[in-house]
Amino acid sequence: MTYPRQTSKTWFMTSWPYRIFMLRELSGVFLAGYTILLVLLVANVHDGANAFTDFRNTLRSPALIVFNAVAFLFALLHTVTWFQAMPKVLPLRYGREHRLALALVGVNYLILLALTAVVLVIVLV
Amino acid sequence: MTVAATTAPTVTLEVARYHPERDERPTFERYDVPNRSEWVVLDALNYLKDHVDGTLSYRWSCRMGICGSCGIMLNGVPKLACAAFLRDYLPGPIRVEPLANFPIERDLITALDDFLEKLPEIKPWIVRSHPQPVEEGEYRQTPEELADFKQYSLCINCMLCYAACPVYQNDGDFLGPAVLALAQRYNHDSRDQGQGERQRRIWLDDATWDCTFVGECSVVCPKAVDPAGAIQQAKVESTMNWYRSLLPRFRRKRAGETM
Amino acid sequence: MRRSSEPFYWSLFSAGGVITALLAPVLIIVVGFLVPGNQVAFHRLHEIFTNPVGRLVVFGLAFFTFFFSAHRLRHTLAEVGLKRFARPITLACNLAALAGTIWAGVVAFT
Repeated sequence: MTYPRQTSKTWFMTSWPYRIFMLRELSGVFLAGYTILLVLLVANVHDGANAFTDFRNTLRSPALIVFNAVAFLFALLHTVTWFQAMPKVLPLRYGREHRLALALVGVNYLILLALTAVVLVIVLV
Repeated sequence: MTVAATTAPTVTLEVARYHPERDERPTFERYDVPNRSEWVVLDALNYLKDHVDGTLSYRWSCRMGICGSCGIMLNGVPKLACAAFLRDYLPGPIRVEPLANFPIERDLITALDDFLEKLPEIKPWIVRSHPQPVEEGEYRQTPEELADFKQYSLCINCMLCYAACPVYQNDGDFLGPAVLALAQRYNHDSRDQGQGERQRRIWLDDATWDCTFVGECSVVCPKAVDPAGAIQQAKVESTMNWYRSLLPRFRRKRAGETM
Repeated sequence: MRRSSEPFYWSLFSAGGVITALLAPVLIIVVGFLVPGNQVAFHRLHEIFTNPVGRLVVFGLAFFTFFFSAHRLRHTLAEVGLKRFARPITLACNLAALAGTIWAGVVAFT
C-alpha cells in the first residue's frame, strides 16, 4: 500500500524562501499595528494640544520605539516583495516579460520615493 | 567546493527506499557512485540499478528534461533527476527522496492519481461553442495570439511545482499550480471558446483562491512556465468578472461578463 | 460549488497592498520617530487632520490597511494547520477589520 503523503505545520521553517514568505505574511500584523497608532494620533490631535503632548510622550516609550522600528523593517519587506510580485499579476507576453517587469518595478520605486518626499514635505514644512 | 571534492573518486547518495510489502515507512540507504563530472543524478541512479541494487525503482524516460517523468527531491528541493548535475552537489552526501506532497508507491515512485484526477476538471483541450467546418480551413493564429498562451503550454506535467507548494501540502483539495496554468493555457488560446466553463471551475475556493502566492512553484519549474503568474492573472480575471456581475443585467454582457 | 466571494476581499487586499507598499514606510517614520522626536508641529497635524481631504486620506489608509492585514492574517493561519477553522477565522478577521474601519471613520470625521 502507498505511504501517505506527509504534511507539516512547520513547513515554513524548512527553507529560506519559505521563511521569507512567512515573514512577508507577518508584515500584515505590524502594518495593522502602525495604522492603529496613526488613528490614535489623529484622535489625540483632535482632542487638543494637551492630549497630543501626552500621546507624543507615549510614543517615546521604549516599547513603542522598538515596535515602530520593527514595523518599519516589516513595511520595507512588504514593499520590496510587493513590487517584486506586481509584474506577475499583469499578463505579459512570452518573450517580453523581462524588460517590462524591470520597468514596472523601477516605476514603482520612483512613485515610492515621490510619495515619501510629498508626505515628508506636508508634515514637516 | 574544494579541488578534493571535484576529484574525489566517488560521491555518496542517501537514497530513500520503500518497499511496501516489507517496510512500514521509507528508510535511507547510502550508496557511493562514481564522481563523473558529466553525470546527472539520473546517471547515478541508473548506475546504482545496473551495478549495485537492481531493486531500486524510479521513473525516467527522455533523460533530457522534456518528458517530466524523473521528478525527485534533491537535498529537499524538487528537481528533475536528469537536469541536476552531480558536480553541483559536491562534496555530498546528496539526499535523494521521492517528490514531496505525493503518496509513495515504491522507492522514488510517487502516486500521481490526484493530479491525473484534477487535470480533466479544467478541460485541457480546445473547447468550441461553434465548431468550424473542415471546409473553412484551419484555425488561424497570429504570433501575438500565440505569445498570449505559449508560456503556459510548455508545462511537461513534471509535478515539481506541487512538491514546492505549501498550500498543496496542507490542503490536498487545492487544484494546484500546473492544473491552473494549463487552464490558463487554454483560456488564453484564441482558438478556444470554453472560458466560461473553465472559469466556473477555476474561480472557486479550492482553485485560484486557495493560492497565497508563495511563488515557489515558479522558482522550481524547469520549463519557466510561471504557474504563479498564471494563477495571479486568474485572480485578476475573476475579480474583474465579479465586479462586472454586479452591474445590471443589460450592462453585463456588454462589459464581457463570462459567467 | 457556490461562486466564491473572494474576489471582493482580494480587491481590497490588492488596493491595501499597494497603498501600504507606497505609504507605510514613510508614515511609520512620521508616527514612530518624527512625532515623538518633536519634529512635527501640533498645529500642522491639526491642520491636516481637520482638513476634509486629510480626514478622508486617514480613513482610506485605515480601511484598506485593516482589510489588507485581515486577508493576509487569515490565509496565514490557514497555512499553519488551522485550515479547518477557516470559516470562523475569516469571520473574526473581517469583523476586526470592519471594527477598525468604523473606529477610524469615527475618529477621522469627528
